[in-house]
Amino acid sequence: MNDTPKIDKLYALSSEKKKFSFRLPLSNRIRIGKRNYVVQLKGDEKYGTYILWKNRRYPVEIVRSRQNKYEILFNDISYTFTVETPFSLQRMKVLSSGKGKAEKELIKAPMPGKIIDVPAREGSTILRGETVVILEAMKMQNEILSPVNGKIVRVNAKAGTNVMKDDVLAEIKVE
Amino acid sequence: MDLSGKSYKAFLERQEALRKQYSAKQAEKQHSKGKLTARERITLLFDKGTFEEIDAFVTPANQPVEFGKVERTYGDGVIVGHGKVNGRLIFAYAQDFTIMGGSLGYVHAKKISKIQEMALKMGSPIIGMMDSGGARIQEGVASLSGYASIFHNIISSSGIIPQISVIMGPAAGGAVYSPALTDFVFMVNHTSYMFVTGPNVVKEVLNEDVTFDELGGAQIHAQKSGVAHMIYDDEENTILALKKFLSYIPSNNVENPPSIPDDNSTPDFNEKLRDIVPDDPNKAYDVKDIIQNIVDRNSFFETAELFAPNLVTGFARLKGKTIGIVANQPKVLAGVLDIDSSTKGARFIRFCDAFNIPILTLEDVPGFLPGVDQEHAGIIRHGAKLLFAYSEATVPRITIILRKAYGGAFIVMNSKSLGGDFSFAWPTAEIAVMGPDGAVAILYRKELADSKNPAELKKELVKKYRDKIANPFIADELGYIDEVIDPAMTRQKIISAFSALSNKWVKVPSRKHGNMPL
Repeated sequence: MNDTPKIDKLYALSSEKKKFSFRLPLSNRIRIGKRNYVVQLKGDEKYGTYILWKNRRYPVEIVRSRQNKYEILFNDISYTFTVETPFSLQRMKVLSSGKGKAEKELIKAPMPGKIIDVPAREGSTILRGETVVILEAMKMQNEILSPVNGKIVRVNAKAGTNVMKDDVLAEIKVE
Repeated sequence: MDLSGKSYKAFLERQEALRKQYSAKQAEKQHSKGKLTARERITLLFDKGTFEEIDAFVTPANQPVEFGKVERTYGDGVIVGHGKVNGRLIFAYAQDFTIMGGSLGYVHAKKISKIQEMALKMGSPIIGMMDSGGARIQEGVASLSGYASIFHNIISSSGIIPQISVIMGPAAGGAVYSPALTDFVFMVNHTSYMFVTGPNVVKEVLNEDVTFDELGGAQIHAQKSGVAHMIYDDEENTILALKKFLSYIPSNNVENPPSIPDDNSTPDFNEKLRDIVPDDPNKAYDVKDIIQNIVDRNSFFETAELFAPNLVTGFARLKGKTIGIVANQPKVLAGVLDIDSSTKGARFIRFCDAFNIPILTLEDVPGFLPGVDQEHAGIIRHGAKLLFAYSEATVPRITIILRKAYGGAFIVMNSKSLGGDFSFAWPTAEIAVMGPDGAVAILYRKELADSKNPAELKKELVKKYRDKIANPFIADELGYIDEVIDPAMTRQKIISAFSALSNKWVKVPSRKHGNMPL
């Protein structure tokens, strides 16, 4: 029986598709550019978990993790990334090569209600999870989030107007 | 040792032939599609060296085939057996797409049935890894009857052992009902599909163009149809997630769920919980933030995350012991109950009830979703499922009312009169027949119409309603909830409540089964 191949490297793939590689076994020595750095991951009651670098503390927190997907807060900035192996990266290439060009994503009203605010601007870029419109329904201000990364090509929603279920609020070109 | 004897020679030859059957070329075929081979999947799932294969040399029956050709391969396109996953006995079968497209013939089906019966007898979970083109056309009705017996076995084992399907390739036609009957369905993004009729037939009959992914890909089933509960980007992560999932559930309906030592990383007294629910009742928040701050650190495993996200369901640990969580999600659709969330919740509750997993309900629900399409699509009978599932469940049941608890939805979400064991409320709770605006509009319709300044009067009445009716204190004084608690004490309270309920025993009257509104 063939064993699973040995993995000597892991990658952190950020939501902007930037790639950072880490040698296995993981160590606290990190190579950035041509220089080596030593960082320490520590934790105590007073400061929580933090990274100690050059005698300064940078707080770090895993906000959410789901299998190989992570959302972390580092120095109060949020990062989302996935952990990939050389094989999964390769496979990603294989699978994405068969796909078509960028598609459009229609943001529809999930239920009837009143538009309170439209933070989305035509022509601007939007990341997955960012708010497109705020819709008041069931006496609650519901944030309608973008399911994709892309560019907003059209905004139909206007603050103060009523919409029906499935009305198109905005259109996003998937990038 | 000398193994050159005649009988040993045959023995070794056979083993060699089996090894050759799983050639590198076939593996490459799977890999080029972004998939693993059945053998690799089994290796990933089980603890190293613990998998014992059964019926590896079984070949398709030697009956003549009138139409087409049947390859006589060892194992007939499916690997079945048992082994340990994190030290616990698990049965599994994995279909091999490289042998006749993983198609299900008579022998193939017999092997699966055999392992299903063993799993039931031993009281161990069974995992099916599907990657099959469907029924083997050449074998005709024999393969159909094979499917039927597999389905029958799943149904006989339902509620006795956990049954999990992992879709790792196509599952079409009758094959889809095998996962549909099991407790949880995992799917792999981009490489797995499920549909009753494929895109070709859809094109032929309805002249609609639809791709495999659009018709029955993992995303569709996770978001729209609710068929798939957990999806991941590749097979390795799917199997790793499956192993984690197994750590929450017991092996059968008699056992208690496994427990692990608590690392005490979540504080019992947690002031963070006081700040999550906003003061403005019209503002949303993420109920998962509350869950994270109540359960053991990083122990929340969400199920059916993408389907009906207005109701969050999942497993977590409390002092190392598994609990099931059902929580309204104010962030999505204001946390209303609709058809999808009702059925999602009901199925989850029934799983917990069948497998002795206590249920924690976090309630913030403005009501059932109004509207013509919901009413016409049967929110009445679908909402009744959630009601039925809660009321029927005999496992320990605790509710915490975080904020809104209005009308029928209050009753449905595990209210005390439905048999809930403990019901706590945060001071932010609003328990009433309906929200302040609705109540004022109905009770003071005439006064509002006659008033010179209706907006002002309405505001005043809403405030009065909030003070007098929509708060947790009246329900507390009447005994409909057990205690109004400080949010910071929530973890402590539910740990002590679940511990008080640990020996709960409800005598269920003898009957064939209740008649759940399906």
